[in-house]
Amino acid sequence: MTARLEEPPRVVAPPTTRWASTSGKTPSVGAIARTTVLIVGAIIVVAPLVWAGLSSFKSQAELAAQPPTLYPHDFTFDNYTTGLAAFDFPRYLLNSTIVTVAATLLTLLINSMAAYALAKYNFRGRDLLFLITLSAIMIPLQVILLPIYQVVSSLGMTNSLLGLIIPPAATPTGVFLLRQYMLTLPDETIEAARIDGAGEFRIFWQVVLPLCRPALAVLAIFSVIWRWNDFLWPLIVAQDESVQTLPVAIARFAGQQAIPFSQILAVSVMSIIPVIIVFLILQRHIISGLVKGAVK
Amino acid sequence: MTGRADAPRRSRFTRRKLVPYLFVLPNMVVFGLFTIWPAINGFNISFYDSANGRTFRPVGTDNYHRILGNDEFWTVARHTIVFVVGFVVASTVLATVLALLLNGQKRGRGALSAAYFLPVVVSPVVVGLIWNAALQRQTGLVNSVVSALGFGQPAWLIDPNLALISVILVGVWVHLGFYTMIMLSGLQSIDSSVNEAATIDGAGTWQKIRLITLPLLRPTTMVVITLATIAGFQAFDFIFTLTGGGPVGATTLIIQYIYENGFTPPIAYGLASAAAVILFLVIFAVTFLNYLVGRRTEAM
Repeated sequence: MTARLEEPPRVVAPPTTRWASTSGKTPSVGAIARTTVLIVGAIIVVAPLVWAGLSSFKSQAELAAQPPTLYPHDFTFDNYTTGLAAFDFPRYLLNSTIVTVAATLLTLLINSMAAYALAKYNFRGRDLLFLITLSAIMIPLQVILLPIYQVVSSLGMTNSLLGLIIPPAATPTGVFLLRQYMLTLPDETIEAARIDGAGEFRIFWQVVLPLCRPALAVLAIFSVIWRWNDFLWPLIVAQDESVQTLPVAIARFAGQQAIPFSQILAVSVMSIIPVIIVFLILQRHIISGLVKGAVK
Repeated sequence: MTGRADAPRRSRFTRRKLVPYLFVLPNMVVFGLFTIWPAINGFNISFYDSANGRTFRPVGTDNYHRILGNDEFWTVARHTIVFVVGFVVASTVLATVLALLLNGQKRGRGALSAAYFLPVVVSPVVVGLIWNAALQRQTGLVNSVVSALGFGQPAWLIDPNLALISVILVGVWVHLGFYTMIMLSGLQSIDSSVNEAATIDGAGTWQKIRLITLPLLRPTTMVVITLATIAGFQAFDFIFTLTGGGPVGATTLIIQYIYENGFTPPIAYGLASAAAVILFLVIFAVTFLNYLVGRRTEAM
């Protein structure tokens, strides 16, 4: 036994390594506090959404309970069936989908074309165009609501999906973001394609755009979020029910006295599920795209 | 390009010169028609009035005289400023703290970031409806927690002051994830060797944050403050379904004022367009100020 005393005691990894996987050390008090704060914060942030989702399965009586119940005690789909009967969900879903998809494709196309010219060509007026684009980032559409409405109405685009798709499509943010990305592409690649005899548009379409996929993905995701959630502009342009998008239709539905809140809740939950699913699938790309300097 | 000067015909050359203009054309047509022209025209129409939004008569600077003497406008302006200041301060501070915490967190950072970002993707109209339910005095989620902690049942949406605070809190909830990710991107661009050197010199965590990280983070902070200021002045959609601007106008902010005067009867087009120009100038001034401050701090 004594001979073995000389041997240093074997270091056994503490069972708490799970907490600090990278270092393998016992977590410090600071690390535990940090993780706790972050988890509690995340719960506070997500709780209202989860509660609303669960509440949409409560009966009307249970929704009025004081104090409120945390989860549905008598689980029911009634709010969804009655809500769908009173609210033309498929129509508004279709409108929202058409507007979101068309506006996003249009944005990606015209923004990337403009960004390419601003990044890779020398031409008279380029700096002025870029400066105007930059300063327009400061002009939110809300501020020029009345004059834009005048333009749209003189073009006869009120109460049409076109009036929802085209006006917000030329996003200055998108032009800026794509231009910054395209500046990093090597000129040699473009020059080589030119020497091979490719036309200017073909170079853009087949050489430049594929290289810009990460930046295009970030812009596409943001465009989808913006257009899907747009409210004030569609509220003004789409006064006719046949062209209303989900947010406008829901706000109108919620404004009706006779509609019980249970149905409004069910319809609301249905309307945010597509975006949340898209987000959960793509969240890694969205967040890393943002964090890796889409903002710079 | 002169290397190929032996081959090209003249038409080819001028075509090449036209190419960049063709590339910018579609974007600039849409942009000019629906942003630049309206922005210019916005000033013009603020010198007209209309009772129905169809026929206009020139009124000179009348709209500005009327709006500056309009009590309702000043109430709206005051509430908007309180909202913007509260919103910008709270979201910048919280985003900084969250980004610092997330940056130190290795395990589960992805999932935590996703949770904080989730509200950004939810339709603001639905956000308003959900928080309206959550802030109900007797049936809401918030008060079931608040009263359990022994603070009674505040009338979040009924008391005018609390309503404005509620609107600020919900606004922060909506945007916090976005600003946090921007802050995180700023944090990750800070050279880690600076912090390592400080650690070797024996600096504590708090000292490193205060003396190294925060000063280096200042440009990113200015970006967040600028974005938050613009977003604050634009706030409308979630408020529309959260409080509708009430109680008794306590949460009616400038965009709602413009919308209601410009588009819902009784139409006061002149007031709306003058208010829009004033808002535009304020946003411009504040952004410019942020830019100047950013410049100064970068130079220091």
